[in-house]
Amino acid sequence: MSRVNPKFATELSKYGTGDFSACFNCGNCTATCSLSKADSSFPREMIRYTTLGLEDDIKASLKPWECYYCGECSTECPRQAEPGELMMTLRRWLTAKYDWTGLSGLLYKSLPLSIAAFVLTFAGVLAFAFSVDFDLEHMMHVGHLFEAIAIATIMVVIFVPNIARMWYFTIIKPGVKVPFKKYVDSLGEFFVTMFVQKRALDCDDNRLRWFEHFILVIGYLSLLFTTVFMDWFSTQYLVVNIFGYVMSAIVFIVTVDFVNSRMKKKKALNKHSQPSDWFFVIWLFLMGFTAFFTRLFIDLDLLESNKWLYILHFTVLVQWALIIVPFGKWTHFLYRSFAMYFAKLKEK
Amino acid sequence: MKQRIGVYICHCGGNISDYVDVEELGKMFHKEENVVVSKDVMFACADSNQKDMVSDIQANNLDAIVVCSCSPKLHLHTFKNVAARAGLNPSNYVQVNIREQCSWPHSDRPREATVKAAGLIRAGINRVAYSESLDNIEIEVKKSALVIGAGVSGMKAAIDLARSGNEVFLIEKDFFVGGRIAQKETLFPTNQNGKEVVAALYNEMKKYPNITIFTGATVEKVSGSLGNFNVDIKVKPRYINPNADKKAVKRAMDECPVSLSDDFNLGLVERKAIYKNYPEALPDVPVVVAEALKDQEDFVGKFASTLNLNEEVQTLSLIAGSVLVTTGYDHYQPKEGEFGYKTIDNVVTLPELNRLMEMNPDKLTYKGKQIKSLAFIYCVGSRQTKGENKYCSRQCCTSTIHTSLQLKEKYKDIQTYHLYRDIRTYGKQELMYAESSKQGDLYFKYEEKEMPTVSVDGKSTIVKVKDYLTAKKEMEIEADLVVLVTGMVAREDSTHISELFKIPIGRDKFFNEIHPKLKPVETVIKGVYIGGTCQGPKNVSESVQSSLAGASKITALLKSGTVSVDPIIARVDADKCTWCGKCADVCDYTAIKEVLFGEKHVAGINKAVCTGCGICAPVCPENAIEVAQYTDNEIESMIDGFMADVEIKEREAKEVVADDEEVKVGMKEYPQVWREILAGMTDEKNTIPEIAANSKLAGELVTFHLMTMNRYGVVVPAGMDAKETYYYYKKK
Repeated sequence: MSRVNPKFATELSKYGTGDFSACFNCGNCTATCSLSKADSSFPREMIRYTTLGLEDDIKASLKPWECYYCGECSTECPRQAEPGELMMTLRRWLTAKYDWTGLSGLLYKSLPLSIAAFVLTFAGVLAFAFSVDFDLEHMMHVGHLFEAIAIATIMVVIFVPNIARMWYFTIIKPGVKVPFKKYVDSLGEFFVTMFVQKRALDCDDNRLRWFEHFILVIGYLSLLFTTVFMDWFSTQYLVVNIFGYVMSAIVFIVTVDFVNSRMKKKKALNKHSQPSDWFFVIWLFLMGFTAFFTRLFIDLDLLESNKWLYILHFTVLVQWALIIVPFGKWTHFLYRSFAMYFAKLKEK
Repeated sequence: MKQRIGVYICHCGGNISDYVDVEELGKMFHKEENVVVSKDVMFACADSNQKDMVSDIQANNLDAIVVCSCSPKLHLHTFKNVAARAGLNPSNYVQVNIREQCSWPHSDRPREATVKAAGLIRAGINRVAYSESLDNIEIEVKKSALVIGAGVSGMKAAIDLARSGNEVFLIEKDFFVGGRIAQKETLFPTNQNGKEVVAALYNEMKKYPNITIFTGATVEKVSGSLGNFNVDIKVKPRYINPNADKKAVKRAMDECPVSLSDDFNLGLVERKAIYKNYPEALPDVPVVVAEALKDQEDFVGKFASTLNLNEEVQTLSLIAGSVLVTTGYDHYQPKEGEFGYKTIDNVVTLPELNRLMEMNPDKLTYKGKQIKSLAFIYCVGSRQTKGENKYCSRQCCTSTIHTSLQLKEKYKDIQTYHLYRDIRTYGKQELMYAESSKQGDLYFKYEEKEMPTVSVDGKSTIVKVKDYLTAKKEMEIEADLVVLVTGMVAREDSTHISELFKIPIGRDKFFNEIHPKLKPVETVIKGVYIGGTCQGPKNVSESVQSSLAGASKITALLKSGTVSVDPIIARVDADKCTWCGKCADVCDYTAIKEVLFGEKHVAGINKAVCTGCGICAPVCPENAIEVAQYTDNEIESMIDGFMADVEIKEREAKEVVADDEEVKVGMKEYPQVWREILAGMTDEKNTIPEIAANSKLAGELVTFHLMTMNRYGVVVPAGMDAKETYYYYKKK
């Protein structure tokens, strides 16, 4: 027995656009979706839950994460109800629900608040630079340290509890019984999704999108590894140095294409960009771009006279690590992987 | 007895001749003594053959013809026209069906099919020998029409009938015109106000002096028939002095001490015992419920010059050439407890909600409580697979969705829930459905076997529904008002009207037309037409369409002052008749009445009413009644003819047909399409697509005809049999 709650639609609309109330349940979206299967069909079901406001059912569902937004459903919808965009919006809403701090939801819903957070972090970096008298070496040392500490802290304080909450909502609360052995056996699914997004390949979509996304993930993770563990900015090894260049270049080149598609709005998935989407791609671009030139300036011995570049890079890094990674779109990297893992656990 | 009969036996391009030996039959009937012409023809209906028939009739001075081909449903009139063109009375024509009755059903036994055909043809020849020349019966009609019911359908029809120059009597049972649409604040899809539409139509009617409107009037007695219906009507008085001062009337209305349930507002409120349905109701004279004022001597005394409580019921007799019934429908009334109706406080019907909306211009309230959410339950009293009303009421889905749009527009902050079985917003109305869901109206689909339930939980009303759109999940909806979307049912008094005019009613109690597609507004009673929702559920546009169709039929019927009726009717032999009255008892159309023949009492047939059904003939103990074209002589001779012995030889193998001479003889009778195919063929072997392209015919048509042509040797590719040829053309 579920109580219908029409107000949910209003709440959800703060997380994105899409006129999902126009849906008349024809099911074309589900029929056209290449990922929807007989025993796990979407997106119609999620649209139905949304229009009726069945929050608990949505929270217990992993289906929003099973969609990779090729946009076919939105193109085929006879009522222009944008089912694909609804799935995207639900992912944002779920991200906010998984987040125990509640900051995700606040940032998704309010652009001014997001901007304030970015300004505040920028001010913090500037204040820090002042306090060390713009000593480049000091700043770079702290920067390197910050990266490692931020990753560890966010992992422990934010992600572990959030993943636990996701697990609780989708496995424990609905009463799914999973033997321990299955947790171990299904780990493969988790890693494959995390690094390869194998499932996205089944989308009736341009393979280029999957490939771009794939190399972006690899590029981003490698860049992270190079800067944090191999200390790219101070390294003497030529191989590591070149590797860093290549990886940062991949990140900013691919993101340029992503930003470009979002601006052109040719495909369904690019039509309704939210601030969180823009922040994610632009900051990812800035990360790669500033890292690339910071190292280039180091190699050309120009950084000492161009400290502003490092301060910019550091600002982007701080904003990325404190806003976008824990509370923004970055989290889809984790939630998608865990969603596929949990879905595997639920399989009979 | 006819002595010069022509018989034509059709091959139907193989449809008949493949199984029935038509050549043999043609030769056989040639030997009959009263048969002058007997031949088999490739296509009897072909223009060339029709021309041959006309010249045969004229050259041989034929006095009757028989065509043995397909069903008379297909070509009866074709050959009756051939007879007429040749100067022969069409009644001297008989069609024998040897395709549907012989070659098609007995294709497995060609010899027996031929024997049966021979019997049927002989029966046809015998019958036509007794045929008499008959002419259509002309009946004088009065150029006046009676329209029953002054709703939107009746008023529109009355205007059209009057404009075409007919005298129109429009009678309305209520004291005010407008019917159901006056009860609607807005009408979809134009959002016009129902009352304004009524006023516009009323004022339009007033422009025609040849329209007479009777309100408070009912039909009491009907006699007569097409062209001259005598209708007695009873007109109830308004009990208002016609010369009374208007202001005094108004004062009497205001001061009236008695209040009664307001029927116009479906009993939701009360009104004075001197009332108008609504302030602008027309005709602009209120009505007094005299019963209710019986004990109010003071009040009646005060308005003695205004009220006239002694006014009496009038009975008037009208003569109408034709009748249009537009009596409309009733709302389905839910039973007590059906979805909580009458047992739970805030359950109403859709018509009641429509009245509530009009009475609450700013804030929707019911029983003192503001309404912010409404749950509509669709198909209440419609589509009952096990109940009485099996039909769909057709307009309620759109009506509800329209109401939902109006609710949002009028009261802004309102949420609606729609519990439907199937949404049937056909045609352009679909746009309203899209608009409704876009504005956030929520739709739930239920099935008849799992009906929604309405219950009370503390202060709130809960509707529970197994939603088929959410994998049959059980949903709970909290609603301030539950609205039952009730369907249309036949009017309570439809049986009464049906008995008066003898209009057949269906199992659903709505009036029946003759044929839903081909005679959609005609009834089996000549001169009586139906329009609007008395025929079945319709929306306003459809109602008006049908009543205007009825009006046009009537105008066409009355236009010339006479009507022509089929001559196949019953006839009474006055010498034999003893007037026992048995025929009159069985006649479904009251076409038989006692009349004086000289000094003798005999049965008289009303030619305008009789349909020639023939039920009277067998019940007559004196055998004094017969039906034209179905006389005893004709029927008995047919039986004799059919029973006569027939000698048919087994047909020889088919190759004979492909004989060169046959082909040449057959050639001139080819249908046009064969000639086109032949013209499209070149010297070389052609494929079907090539022939189709050359002759500009569809490929299937070419394939089909090539098979027949091949069978008759018209097209024979060397060294191939029929089957191979077919595939040859088909493959290439």
